[in-house]
Amino acid sequence: MIQALTNLFWILIFPGFVFTLAVGLVAAWLVRKVSALVQYRVGPPVYQPAADVMKLLGKEILIPQDAQRAVFVAAPLIGLSGVLLLSTVLWLALAQREFVGDIIVAIYVMVLPSLALILGSSASSSPHAAIGAGREMKLVLSYELPLLLAFVVVIIKTSGALEAGEQLSLVAIAQHTPVLSISGMLAFIVALLCVQAKLGFVPFDIAESESEVASGVMIEYSGALLALWKLMQTLMLVALPLFLVTVFLGGIGTSVASVLGGVGKYVLVLVLVILIKNTNPRVRIDQAMRFFWFYCGTALLAAVVLATLGNYYGVGWL
Amino acid sequence: MDTILLYPVFIPLAVGFVLLFLPRRATPLFKAVTLVVSLLAFVCSVLILSRGEGSYHWSILELGAFRLDLLLSAAPLGSFILMFAMGFGVLITLYSLNSRAPIARSNEYYGSILLTIGGAAGILLSNHLLFLLIFWEIVTASLYILISTGGKSSNFAATKSFAMIGVSDAGFLLGVGIVWTLAGTFVISDISVATTSALPIIAFLLLMLAAITKAGAMPLHTWVPAGGEYAPTSVMALLPAALDKLLGIYLLVLIVKSLFTLDPNGPLTTVLAVIGAATIVIAVMIAMVQHNLKKLLSYHAVSQVGYMILGIATLTPVGIAGGVFHMLNNAIYKCCLFLCGGAVEEATGTADLERLGGLGAKMPLTFISCLIAALSISGIPPLNGFASKWMVYQGVVQMGQTQSSAGAGLWPVWLVAAMFGSALTLASFVKILHSVFLSRSPDALRDVKEVPWAQTLPMLVLACLCVVFGVFYEGPLRWFIFPALGITDGPAIFIGSWNSILATVLLLIGVGVGVGVLWIAAFAKKVRIVPTWTCGEIQRNDDMIIPGTHFYKTISSMGGLKQMYGGQERGYFDLYNQGGRVGLVLTGMLRWLHTGVLPMYLTWVTLGLLVVLLCLVAGIW
Repeated sequence: MIQALTNLFWILIFPGFVFTLAVGLVAAWLVRKVSALVQYRVGPPVYQPAADVMKLLGKEILIPQDAQRAVFVAAPLIGLSGVLLLSTVLWLALAQREFVGDIIVAIYVMVLPSLALILGSSASSSPHAAIGAGREMKLVLSYELPLLLAFVVVIIKTSGALEAGEQLSLVAIAQHTPVLSISGMLAFIVALLCVQAKLGFVPFDIAESESEVASGVMIEYSGALLALWKLMQTLMLVALPLFLVTVFLGGIGTSVASVLGGVGKYVLVLVLVILIKNTNPRVRIDQAMRFFWFYCGTALLAAVVLATLGNYYGVGWL
Repeated sequence: MDTILLYPVFIPLAVGFVLLFLPRRATPLFKAVTLVVSLLAFVCSVLILSRGEGSYHWSILELGAFRLDLLLSAAPLGSFILMFAMGFGVLITLYSLNSRAPIARSNEYYGSILLTIGGAAGILLSNHLLFLLIFWEIVTASLYILISTGGKSSNFAATKSFAMIGVSDAGFLLGVGIVWTLAGTFVISDISVATTSALPIIAFLLLMLAAITKAGAMPLHTWVPAGGEYAPTSVMALLPAALDKLLGIYLLVLIVKSLFTLDPNGPLTTVLAVIGAATIVIAVMIAMVQHNLKKLLSYHAVSQVGYMILGIATLTPVGIAGGVFHMLNNAIYKCCLFLCGGAVEEATGTADLERLGGLGAKMPLTFISCLIAALSISGIPPLNGFASKWMVYQGVVQMGQTQSSAGAGLWPVWLVAAMFGSALTLASFVKILHSVFLSRSPDALRDVKEVPWAQTLPMLVLACLCVVFGVFYEGPLRWFIFPALGITDGPAIFIGSWNSILATVLLLIGVGVGVGVLWIAAFAKKVRIVPTWTCGEIQRNDDMIIPGTHFYKTISSMGGLKQMYGGQERGYFDLYNQGGRVGLVLTGMLRWLHTGVLPMYLTWVTLGLLVVLLCLVAGIW
């Protein structure tokens, strides 16, 4: 009973919904503020993302008459709950508590938001949304390959130091910093780009691309349903950089100093993402696929070979 | 002496054989008889599983060292697969009851279904290699008849299946012969051959070829898509999707775990891993670009076998358990998907993805089942496909860290192939869900209705099993898989962690949070139904449909991949076509000799006599 209540507290209050949402709203503000600084603007006040969501909640919900209504309404709910689960798992792994699943589970749960977005847009009966859904799926395919290779690099880099039965545990992996090696660095850079694409940020905002398909996947969403999508994206702004911090940058730790360091790592990843977002034009979907599969894929194949060699000859920095 | 072991084998075989020769008009009788017999077989299989180990022995013939005994035994692995195989038999029979799909020759259809059920039971219970081979052939032959009931073009597909499986079965026979000479017995439980010299390795490869051809893995896989296009969907759901997987993987586990002893550091596991990983990725890449619903599903029936083979190839307890669990899970969701495909085809009259769309609201039960099965096959947690894939991945990681063969050194390749294959699977099912159930409905499909309950019930049962076996995945593992493989330390074999029950509850709570937000918002404003936003242009409905068939053109037109797809389309990689070409050359030579001119034949005869004479003379000397 106590365990059930604790789990409920974790998922709903801390470090789940309420806490992650709070962090996410600050992160969303950071995205807009840093973007503004890059563009020599002042930028919005800190409560602006929250105000935007509140405004959307008060708006009317429009549902297209040809839409598959059940899927149309259920999709944002599934996406939201997927990110919620992911962020709770990651927070607790950072607090050195094994919760729900290992790193494979985390990678698979990470697909849920994209899948929900695809199903929702596909159900909305709009041709723009259909094009967006196809692009989103192709984008998932594009970054999934390098992301998996990066994951393999992490497993190779950390497995030597871990006991049998721990190689896949997020808690154990969070104790290591694979980024402090050539292969780990390569994997981190590519994984950062994958996170960029997962967040749907420029240069990989291909599925939404306002100027071509009028925000594609979300074109028919409005009011509270759109607010749910925005909430999901806000939570992803926390969960995905957190995943990088957990897997590559050695986690957060428990002492005061290491927590501050952990916050620094998170902000660093976030700022990197924002800077990439603000200094690049949008690419076409075929360019994105080629970039992820051939360029990132080749770089990571090299990283996998380097990491294997490093393990074999006991050279840590490879 | 457990005579109960005889019932699920010989009652369906006998009844099925009789049905083949009855007049075609008596279709209702066939349906009733098939349903009763398949239910009986299912009940027997449940009894066999619950009673545990047992055996039946009847000596038929004894000639020196050659003994032919009818040996049936309920081993843990066989009897658990038996129960599920018989269950699929019942569900497919139920589905066929008021199916409106055109089936030529109903006597042969229902007769062959019973023959298949009996043959499958025979394979799973047989403890004698020759009888296993006989039952194996019965299933092959009934697959031929079943595919050919699909109408005009199905004869081609039936012949192709029969030829490909037949060739691999010839290898099976040869392999059994070699095993007999090595082990001196046909009794499966007494055989254990070490794979250290050439002969046992050849025998292993021959038996493996038979197993993976039946299961539909590459390179001898092309009979599955050929059947998928022309055979009745119920046949595809019964055989290539469910029973052939169960039987093929059963044989593979049998030869890997029992008939042969494999060296984890030897080359054979590498062969298996290569076949597994290649099958996963290549088949799913082909599946992604298909335009026909049934053909697309068939390529996935090929692709999924890769996970099972890869799991078994790892030779780690978690990998093998994962492979066998995936076999079971795959049979469940794949069968469900084929049934959904059949239902869609019956309701709309087409399986062409470009002519479908928007059926979600019109066929809600089919849609729900298809959605669950599609997410399962794509490995979305917490459904069953994820649980077994997750185990296979662990097996691969463990293989890389504990073994020293070439295959173990390449574990990153297998892992990435398997996990990326899963993403590609998701992509092609997104295409199906979009093109068939979501998107917009073409005007031609305005009056489509849901199929009757006898068809939706099997789909819903299978979809529920997908959820139950996913959320409570430790149940089937503890009840069926671990005992079947003799794993005593249970979940201790895992190297990762996955608390699926907690995850499901948390996901539901997450959905609840979203519902709460929506509910609060619904107080503020009403919900309004509006036309689709088209940027002010007035469009005809049919012009606004974007079918999912265009989704992956970016991939199929990518440099390098484009040539591969082109070659695949023209059948360059199809061993059946290439084998046919070699056969044509051979028969062409014979034809060239076969001129019909008498002096020519006389010359050949004289030449032959000369050769014989020379041989004789040489022998005397």
